[in-house]
Amino acid sequence: MDKLAKQLRADADRIDVAVSAELDRRIDASLRAVTPEAEVQRPPPIARPPLFWWASTLTGIAAAIAVIAIVNLRAPEQPVAPELDLVATVPPIELKAETAMLTAPLQEELERLQSDLKKAEEKVKRDIGL
Amino acid sequence: MTDELKLIAAAKAGSADAFADLVRGYRERLLRFLLTRSPSYADAEDVLQDTLIAAFRYLHSYDSRWRFSTWLYRIAIRNAAKLRGPDLADVAIVGDLRDEESDPLQQCIADSETDNLWLSARELLNDEVFAAMWLRYAEDMSVNDIAKALDRSTSWAKVNLMRGRRVLETHMNGAAEKSEAYG
Repeated sequence: MDKLAKQLRADADRIDVAVSAELDRRIDASLRAVTPEAEVQRPPPIARPPLFWWASTLTGIAAAIAVIAIVNLRAPEQPVAPELDLVATVPPIELKAETAMLTAPLQEELERLQSDLKKAEEKVKRDIGL
Repeated sequence: MTDELKLIAAAKAGSADAFADLVRGYRERLLRFLLTRSPSYADAEDVLQDTLIAAFRYLHSYDSRWRFSTWLYRIAIRNAAKLRGPDLADVAIVGDLRDEESDPLQQCIADSETDNLWLSARELLNDEVFAAMWLRYAEDMSVNDIAKALDRSTSWAKVNLMRGRRVLETHMNGAAEKSEAYG
């Protein structure tokens, strides 16, 4: 035991405590008033007979065989006639819209912005005396 | 079957006498430990009483793979923590609740001529590290049992015991140098 451990042990022993007779009585009385909680009784595991195991195994195997048989013995599917494609039968509609119509508002907006930018640039030049 | 196991079995069956015999040897040790964590002597006594009652009530949950003392200390530590209560949840340590005159630990070592290292330990270490140091050096508990009692990992217990030791060694060396300087 090293120096620190010895010192700690000795110092702990120097802490003078005693359980008083009154505390002893109190503890004793309260212990007598307590009813220990009973351990939660778990139901014992049910022992299943070996026959049960065999029965469940055989049932599983039978079910698997039945599924395989149903999948493999089913009659082949009849080819289904393709449905008439209605969209293909409609003649193409000629769109008359002009592409220029779609871009015109954007072009105007760009021109307005460029004009605003130019005005602002001139105003700044005027302000700083160029 | 050891005597302790026989007493535990009898107490589990409901014998208060068997339980009283079982914990007789632990009462003073627990009280000494609780004094370091309580604002007053009366509080330490109350926590001891609550601890023993809880231990008796829930003895059925005691796992015999644990040492009985470890299990008891774990209950005691939890009960002592309850002293702070919900209103005092933000109080860092019980030390904030006691003043020097009413400090039960100081009262119990007042007659001693030299400084008690546990008083310094309580000032220098936090509650959990102090408890770990106490269980190791005052109770000779193993690191594994300390971890169980504090509901911490074994590596936490190892690291914090080492830290606690380092802090106290530095304090001890500092105190020794000071006393040499004063002659």
